Amino acid sequence: MARLPWPARALARGVLLMAAASIVIFLCTAALPGDAADVLGGGRAAPGELARLRAEQGLDRPPHVRYLDWLTDVLSGDPGVSLITGRPIGELVAQRAGVTLALAVAALAVGVPLTAALAWAAVRGPRWLRQTANAVIVAGAALPQAVVAAALVAWLSAAWGLFPPVSMLPAGEPAWSRPDLLALPVLTLALPIAAYGAALLRGAIADVMARPYVRDAELRGLPPAAIALRYVLPMVAAPATRLLAVTLGGLVAGTAVAETLFGLAGLGELLVTAISTRDVPVVQSVALLAAAVVVAGLAAADASRPATERR
Amino acid sequence: MKRMNGSVEPIPQVRAGHRSRAALILGAVSGSMLLVALGGAAVAGRDPVAIVAPPWSGPGPGLPLGADALGRDVLARVLAGGRDLTLTAIAAALTASALGVAGGLWAGWSRGRLGRAAASAADLLLALPLLLLALLAVVTLPGPAAVVAGTVLGGTPLTLRVVADATATARRAGYVEAALSRGERGGAVLLREVLPAHAGLVGADLGQRLVLAVQLAAALNVLGFGPAPPAPDWAAMLRENLQGLGLNAAATIAPAAALAVLAGSVAALSHSLWDGRS
Amino acid sequence: MRRDGLTVRGLTVADRAGTSIVDRLSLRIAPGEVLALTGPSGAGKTTVLRAVLGALPAGLTRVSGQIEWHGAPVRAPRRWRRRTVGFLGQDPASALHPLLDARAAVREALPRAARGAGAEERALAEVGLDPAEIGRRRPHQLSGGQAQRVALARALAANPELLVLDEPTSALDPAALLLALEQVRRRRGDSRSVTLIVSHDLAVVRELADHVVRLGPDGRDDGVPQAPILSPGGKPAPGGRAVPGGRAVPGGRVVLDAHGLTIAQPPGGAPLLSDVDLTISAGESVAVLGASGSGKSTLLRVLAGLHPAERGRATVAGQALPWPVTERSPAALRALALVGQNPLDVLNPARTVGAALARPLRTLRGLPRRAARAHVRHLLAIVGLPEELAHRYPATLSGGQRQRVALARALAGDPAVLLADEITAALDTRTAAQVLDLIDTLRHETGLAVLAVTHDPAVAARAGRVLRIEGGRLRPHPCSHHRRPSLDVL
Repeated sequence: MARLPWPARALARGVLLMAAASIVIFLCTAALPGDAADVLGGGRAAPGELARLRAEQGLDRPPHVRYLDWLTDVLSGDPGVSLITGRPIGELVAQRAGVTLALAVAALAVGVPLTAALAWAAVRGPRWLRQTANAVIVAGAALPQAVVAAALVAWLSAAWGLFPPVSMLPAGEPAWSRPDLLALPVLTLALPIAAYGAALLRGAIADVMARPYVRDAELRGLPPAAIALRYVLPMVAAPATRLLAVTLGGLVAGTAVAETLFGLAGLGELLVTAISTRDVPVVQSVALLAAAVVVAGLAAADASRPATERR
Repeated sequence: MKRMNGSVEPIPQVRAGHRSRAALILGAVSGSMLLVALGGAAVAGRDPVAIVAPPWSGPGPGLPLGADALGRDVLARVLAGGRDLTLTAIAAALTASALGVAGGLWAGWSRGRLGRAAASAADLLLALPLLLLALLAVVTLPGPAAVVAGTVLGGTPLTLRVVADATATARRAGYVEAALSRGERGGAVLLREVLPAHAGLVGADLGQRLVLAVQLAAALNVLGFGPAPPAPDWAAMLRENLQGLGLNAAATIAPAAALAVLAGSVAALSHSLWDGRS
Repeated sequence: MRRDGLTVRGLTVADRAGTSIVDRLSLRIAPGEVLALTGPSGAGKTTVLRAVLGALPAGLTRVSGQIEWHGAPVRAPRRWRRRTVGFLGQDPASALHPLLDARAAVREALPRAARGAGAEERALAEVGLDPAEIGRRRPHQLSGGQAQRVALARALAANPELLVLDEPTSALDPAALLLALEQVRRRRGDSRSVTLIVSHDLAVVRELADHVVRLGPDGRDDGVPQAPILSPGGKPAPGGRAVPGGRAVPGGRVVLDAHGLTIAQPPGGAPLLSDVDLTISAGESVAVLGASGSGKSTLLRVLAGLHPAERGRATVAGQALPWPVTERSPAALRALALVGQNPLDVLNPARTVGAALARPLRTLRGLPRRAARAHVRHLLAIVGLPEELAHRYPATLSGGQRQRVALARALAGDPAVLLADEITAALDTRTAAQVLDLIDTLRHETGLAVLAVTHDPAVAARAGRVLRIEGGRLRPHPCSHHRRPSLDVL
């Protein structure tokens, strides 16, 4: 294979990944026949009626033809309409994206510094801090998100009365206008992210700290800050970027639990509602959007690697 | 430190003893939690779906944990509400782990183009958001099957990579080379030498998969893809009772604690079995 | 402040179990003096050095004693190291930050005020590097020798009051070592500089140092009865060499015969070793020397069947040796045994010693379970280990014990040839000597032939024949008395 320059290779990989993701999404949701027609028929349609509905929706054509049709539609910017409400999917997504975006950005803003602090404490802190940080990492990465949410509500809202327990954002109001409503969902998202990220980053940092040139720098008496910034940071930048990309992608789908529990109408909640009503076109579009965020992040991490990981 | 040649090294023994005691305690905790989750309904002797009190009544005589949003016995629901979730999680973890161990042994041993391709495909799957995969699976599959599918898609690649790395390293280990050079077949060496040598790693990894499966099952059940409504379920209870936290906190805290102890003790056990993985 | 240099008073360092690694060590280096710390590996030299620098690795603690600099205890060791100490570690080339070029590496060692204005260039020129050519290169663009010199330049750049060199004779190539020693000579007697050298190489340090402090061997026993050896016929040589020189038994039959072996790494790639001819007779001991990466270990792996030969053929005890190993006849499999170098992974951590020894007895000799178990005791006795060890796991054995078990496992098939790959590399001098004695005795008494790959002069000195891999060929080594080139230079 010809050696393409780095950014081009990252881009090519991204396109391939996206194609693979779209096939997986399509196979999961649409290749098994019946669902969409069942929904349209209200679940009680006669066999003849079902066949008619299928033909109407084009569901009787072979899967690869339907996949290509769907892909063409999405690429031309027309993902179709919701089976349930009949509204254009683009409009639905745009309406919900604000809340999810606010949640994701805020969760990253809280989670990223927390990740760095936890990982650093787990590797470099004094003994008690190391042990505490490790316990927090193990527990935080293990707890189901719903448990974190329940604990936060019980502690910050019910016991201390700091935040309203359930948000119920007034319709039409942008999410960031009510930071107090977002606090609990954001923490629910940020804490597991930080613990999970720190568990991965801890390994990378410990790995770099064990390399001979870092040991040598310690013996030469370099200040800890210089070792952290000049010796460790450039070496963990690549895995950290990748981690960030994966986390960001995970957030788009991962907001579902937080949005549902706290009553926020975002993309995750849209996805869950669409799944329970078998609104296949909506499911496909939201999932594809989440996949696109992951793939774009990975491609960015890939493309930035030569700057940070020259050997 | 070049202090490896004393008669019997006391340091690793002392630390191994310390560690195995911790593992023992954590094993007891997670074991009894699993027992409660699986057998709680049988010993409860109470009906988890009968309405016995006004909604969100506080704890009182006959109702140690009070009542939930519909006035059902919280203790009975907690005792009965872990079984399906735990069984699903165990099935998912075993499937994911078995596939990953088999694939990892093969990929790490063969080190051919196919093995490397499997490893990089696994890397790719790691990047996918797990909950999204499970949610996509739930479109066509029932909830428990979606948990298994999500755990396999998200967990097997991790297991595969860890086991493949360990196997590739073990391939150059003295005991493996000695076995190979006395003519033992690859499969026998894998099963007799490599796998037992990494039993701790595989056990710890199984624990990680179990935690993952519990998280996934909890998420799907909270979102309403679990057991149909009157049936008790820890995760669904969180959603049902979060609003009534001010009235009967136990209705939320008890199932949350059950989930937390289950996932937390398994994770800590796994961590104590095998520390130092990324 | 008095200027009386470095003083160590009653230094005692212990590990977690409370065993003292360094016991009440005192030493003093006045300005202008050079002190050499010597002793066999495992004697705690590196531990003393780390304790002096105030940077003991995790698990070790300074139980008592004091480190004083110019008469006052060192309070903030890190700042003290930064200001006062120039340090050159055991592996200088890998001590360079991969992303920093040579100039930046040296610059890092300079105090802020001294940076720029050509100080970095001067420090590089001082060690014989051309700053214009080398200054902008990163470690991966430097040769090994150049990288060592950059590290040396960094250690010397700030003209440190205390210079610490850790094993310079093995860390540096001969030319860089000469440079370093020249610098030490210059520091000596300038009534300012204090120099501490850690080395196992007495010859070098004696000539250079004002004081030599010798740390004794750890004095701890291996916990094993000294090789009681085989049958009543054989007479064990107490602690010494069984067969001096290790000549082949006269008229000994040929047990290993290889012709025209060509070996490629990776298989099918460019040849690493070509046309190897090798004949070994019963009871003979042959050592193979060569630079790392020259293919000496691969040669053993080819014979053991772990790596394919591109061309050529080999026989052992009259049996052909095909590749892959699974094609070999049971007799051929029995006749060859490989022992590896790393005591940490030479035994399976999940198998008891007894199980590890019983397996080859059953697969190679076809012994039933019960007979194999009985024979395990015999094998342990041969290598001088108590039979209770059969129930232990490798984690509870010392490095020397593990190598003995590995040897016992290799002997299980009653081999004609033992392939020994750096088997003493990870052992301390004393334990290594015990293992080598044991092999010599076996050779003498059972006619076992040994093909040993090594870089250890002690192993080569015992061999009857020394071969050397150079330029992809296996050649006889001119003199079997092998010395480090760095010593010849001096």
